Amino acid sequence: MQVAIASGKGGVGKSTITASLLYFLKDMYKLIAVDADAEAPNLGLLLGVEKWEEEREHIGAKVARINPDTCVRCGICYERCPYESIYVDGEGNYVVNELTCEGCNVCGLVCPVPGTITLEQARSGVIRKATTKYGFPIISAQLDVGRPESGKLVTEEKEWAKKLMDELNLEHMIVDSAAGIGCQVIASIGGADLTILIAEPTPASLSDVQRAYKVVQHFRQPAYLIINKADLNPGFTALKEWANEEGIPVIGEVPYDRAIPRSMAMLKPVVEAFPESPASKALKEIAERIAEEILG
Amino acid sequence: MQIAISGGKGGTGKSTVAVNLAVELAKHFRLVLADLDVEAPNDHLLLDLELTNEEPVNQFMPKFDYSRCTKCRKCAEVCEEHAIITLKDGTPFLMPNLCSGCRACEIVCPVPGAIQEAFRVIGHTYVTETPYGFTLVTGKLREGEERSMPLVVEAKKRAKNLDYELLMVDTAAGTGNTVSKAIEGSRLLIAVTEPTPLGIHDTELILKLGKLMGLRTWVVVNRADLGDTRKVGEIAKRYGAEVVAEIPYSENIVRSYVSGRPVVLESVPEAKVFHELAEKVAEFLGGGE
Repeated sequence: MQVAIASGKGGVGKSTITASLLYFLKDMYKLIAVDADAEAPNLGLLLGVEKWEEEREHIGAKVARINPDTCVRCGICYERCPYESIYVDGEGNYVVNELTCEGCNVCGLVCPVPGTITLEQARSGVIRKATTKYGFPIISAQLDVGRPESGKLVTEEKEWAKKLMDELNLEHMIVDSAAGIGCQVIASIGGADLTILIAEPTPASLSDVQRAYKVVQHFRQPAYLIINKADLNPGFTALKEWANEEGIPVIGEVPYDRAIPRSMAMLKPVVEAFPESPASKALKEIAERIAEEILG
Repeated sequence: MQIAISGGKGGTGKSTVAVNLAVELAKHFRLVLADLDVEAPNDHLLLDLELTNEEPVNQFMPKFDYSRCTKCRKCAEVCEEHAIITLKDGTPFLMPNLCSGCRACEIVCPVPGAIQEAFRVIGHTYVTETPYGFTLVTGKLREGEERSMPLVVEAKKRAKNLDYELLMVDTAAGTGNTVSKAIEGSRLLIAVTEPTPLGIHDTELILKLGKLMGLRTWVVVNRADLGDTRKVGEIAKRYGAEVVAEIPYSENIVRSYVSGRPVVLESVPEAKVFHELAEKVAEFLGGGE
């Protein structure tokens, strides 16, 4: 089975909860973890990965380059770039800003001097694999800064994970997605059997998880909800009401617990570092419910 | 002039810092705050505002006039997103969700009128007046749309068309090119982080981006009591940045966050951090004039 974890809003506890769930589920199933937040990959850190066993460069991005020697400085590329990624430098040269270029090649197509603007392959990041100290493998990716956000990177991670699942005869893939609802998240949720949403009881998190849920609905998948920092904002009932209305089962609530940041500093899942803490007890129950009701 | 609030990791407090700084800096400057976290825009919720003045962001997509199309396949060949597929005989079809609206197909099509303009709405922008003396511009990507770049570009354009002395942009999490697009043109980048290993890891990425863009960068450590802020300072130093403020974990901030009233308006000790940070920013910007 392929399970995606998503939240819309960043920093609500996706990776923290994923790491803890993996810690319990590893004893019941043969798992593989995928960190699909290529712009801010953290799951490996939380699982104590120190060394990556294998690393593959991902040459997915394309970037335009302007040859200043043949450029006639007509400025057509500057006018036509849909993303305003061409600028004029101090010497009057037209230059592509590689940190915002989307690689669409419109500049190359409108340039009147053949060969002046070329579209070149660029490294967009790396995909890597490690075996965690808990025995299961993890695939993670890291986008190079300033590159187009890439669903392709996530798709490639998942392909690598699927291959390992076949080779090692693994049962379940757990995909920890990025914040937001863009292509990385769409690539994470697409192809999954179900999505576990994570939210905290705040207006911002509710608004963003509702948006993430629309992406889940787009793929016609079942969704479940875990409420993190559940006691943060006692008067706030809108999150549960929404889940109720949409028929999204709430599989558990994790209380705000200082054991979580302390466990992070130790680079361990909270359930390993502080098994008796209130958050860990809640996470254990959630893992058991996931095993019983979802993974089977 | 423009400053940017970013941070790499999600949920470190970018929007909290942005709205509180905006309230304070609006006393010094005619200010526009642009929420360019188009996948998860929250600044209006932290200000308890309904978004107003909605405008759709229409994105070009090709509409093929099959009576004119010569099935030369050029449109499909140049489409870097592979959004145009062709049948065996060369008849082109568009897969709208993949189309980025760049118009490369239209540019190469040799037959006038064979590719016509069509549009689809990929999201909206909003301009909302706040009761705090500044204007909020928000970009919001439509759910199911993959590409946030065009929306970041449009929302930023709408903000820049307003009359302001200071534009403050609040970016998405991450360090990809939509974040650099939002940050582009800033005199100062304020990176908000938390002192956990995860926060520190992602701070390094945003500092790297700031350095590549040649930006003056300040670091604000949020929930400073959750970890070792010295480590943040060390990383900052390595990239020529400095830690300018530390915000403790605080129930007052949490309360203000959920109630939609910036904490800087309350007479609580936490407000002081934002007052001081705003003064520092104002001084930095004023000094550069």
